[in-house]
Amino acid sequence: MKLKICHLYPETLNLYGDRGNVLCMKKRLEWRGIDCEVDTLSIGETKDLEGYDLFFMGGGQDFEQEVLLRDLDGQNGSEIRRAIHNGKTFLCICGGYQILGSHYETKEGIRCAFLGAIDLYTVGGEKRLIGNYAYRMRQDREECIVVGFENHSGRTYLGSGVRPLGTVLAGYGNNGKDHTEGVHFKNVFGTYSHGPVLPKNPGFCDCILKTALEYKYPGAVLTPLEDRFEKKAHDAVLEQVLGKRKKRRALTWQK
Amino acid sequence: MTACKTARRFLNRTGRGGTALPGKIAMALDPKVLREASRGMQVILVTGTNGKTTTCRMLEKALEESGKDCLLNRSGANLLSGITAEFVCGTDRKGRPEKPYAVIECDEGALKQVVPLVHPGVILVTNLFRDQLDRYGEVMNTRQQILNGIRLSPESLLCLNADCPLTATLADEVKNPVVFYGIDVPAGDQTQRKISDAKYCVHCGTVLSFAHYTYAHMGEWACPSCGNKRPCPGTAVSAILDMNPDFSLVELRNGDRVREIRIGLPAMYNLYNALAAICAGTAAGLPSEALAEASGSMSACFGRMEGFRIGEKNLQMILVKNPAGLDQAAEFVTGSREEYDIAFCLNDKTADGHDISWIWDADLEKVVKDPHRKAIYVSGSRAEDMQLRLKYAGAGEEEIILEKKPDILILRMITGTRRLFVLPNYTSMLELRKELLKTTGGVEFWKG
Repeated sequence: MKLKICHLYPETLNLYGDRGNVLCMKKRLEWRGIDCEVDTLSIGETKDLEGYDLFFMGGGQDFEQEVLLRDLDGQNGSEIRRAIHNGKTFLCICGGYQILGSHYETKEGIRCAFLGAIDLYTVGGEKRLIGNYAYRMRQDREECIVVGFENHSGRTYLGSGVRPLGTVLAGYGNNGKDHTEGVHFKNVFGTYSHGPVLPKNPGFCDCILKTALEYKYPGAVLTPLEDRFEKKAHDAVLEQVLGKRKKRRALTWQK
Repeated sequence: MTACKTARRFLNRTGRGGTALPGKIAMALDPKVLREASRGMQVILVTGTNGKTTTCRMLEKALEESGKDCLLNRSGANLLSGITAEFVCGTDRKGRPEKPYAVIECDEGALKQVVPLVHPGVILVTNLFRDQLDRYGEVMNTRQQILNGIRLSPESLLCLNADCPLTATLADEVKNPVVFYGIDVPAGDQTQRKISDAKYCVHCGTVLSFAHYTYAHMGEWACPSCGNKRPCPGTAVSAILDMNPDFSLVELRNGDRVREIRIGLPAMYNLYNALAAICAGTAAGLPSEALAEASGSMSACFGRMEGFRIGEKNLQMILVKNPAGLDQAAEFVTGSREEYDIAFCLNDKTADGHDISWIWDADLEKVVKDPHRKAIYVSGSRAEDMQLRLKYAGAGEEEIILEKKPDILILRMITGTRRLFVLPNYTSMLELRKELLKTTGGVEFWKG
């Protein structure tokens, strides 16, 4: 078995240790004896995306996203939309997640058209939503808690027919209001969590790998890994996050 | 002012550093106290992502060499409160400054508060890298904050790194007089950068081209589209004659003069630190002899390439706060010709940044793969994250030893026989240093 990963715009969307996610997917496939090839798509390049099984898009600087949007306006944009609608697996983080939506409206009211692949949009906010956070994610009747770090000024709102990826336990998530976090649409996983998110959340990583694998090899199974260090790192952050939350709750109660 | 001094004295006596709290007290009583406490002083202000502390120390040394008494906020307290405390404690009974000169290390975000109060004669910007994203936001955001600060003092002479595209282009957006420094020749790895904080032209968004690199995203850069390019620096390294684990020897061009100078600390980034100090020092009117002397005798400060001797063993501490710094430290450590044990210490306190994801952007694979590298230790409040990073960098689980407590870490490390490297981030460096000084009986930093 073999999966081909396409890292979209790595030179532009690489803020916050995003390459750790690609490294994590690659290693976890290799540790199970599954071949993995990582390729990249850069601004100005055109590629047939049909040949790839798994796509990754990270977060970037606002300044650099302008350059990127010009590229997405062309053929690459339509290729990505087609891959999403054909059921290819995607992991999109922060800026890469926002780009999937219909548009971004800055806090000054300027509207910027995005890919329009999923019914969601983002509005710029005054205060940046920053910090370690946690959300509960349900996949195939299995539940897991994802921990990560969020840092975004955009507030994302999902269309009525679109499911979030998880429910916020502590932190802000999509918009700090409705307790939703990320998006799960077809085989696209979008989240605000960097950190990077996958190494500390092996369950989430395996869920993505399994989705891509099953699409290509129906009935394929992933053998479990030991994940001793992964669980330790996950639990250490979770303790920090939920501890803080209890403290906050206590403070509200005092008022 | 008296309140501030008393607080500092009290904190020192009770065994605490007291670098920022006294400043907060003084500011609560008089928010503009720093203006009074720095009145009439000649100030050189240093900001930028990496190299601030080392550069400031070298400038202080050069001022001393030329017989000029100067004040320096040396304990890494580089926010408004820490700087205020330093200046207030440097005044006489009437509240007038005792020393005619000051070198200020200033946090990028605090620049706009500090600049209008101290009116620096020279502002030096060392470089810009991604750093503490949760505090500053993206690197372009930090750049904007620096611009805002500089604009509050349009008469200050600006001293900029020509090789860093994000820094050099600050000149185009301000009215200040500007001088540049840089390295004219290629150095180190010349392969195209996979990750760069300065990929695009800040003016037109085109991908920059590089005739050569010096380190990270720095080098001879140009925008193929709008003609924006590396300015020709007035202070430059025109040839690198020798770089070894202890010092570097370079040919320095300063104005029309070319001379050979020694830089007393190893590694590429110290070349930049020395250049920055020479450029800013020249701009402030310091004699070249004093600057050369200061560069040659440049010594490690405060956890940055600092050496400790414990019994028969040498331990070297290298402060790492961001991917560019960690990459440089990895390059330095893997240049070792003998076997070594290494410790990575990662805290996530406010002074470090709560976001530790940058460890995934650094080339730790290089250290893991190095045949001279033996035991790996991880420590600090985010030791588990570092442990996981090293696992994915290729280290076997059994090779990585987790020890969260700094005192026990040191005890465990010194039982071995090999050379030791310790790579901590900011607050873990403070903790480790305290423990190391206990072991070696050294002097604590706020007294240094």
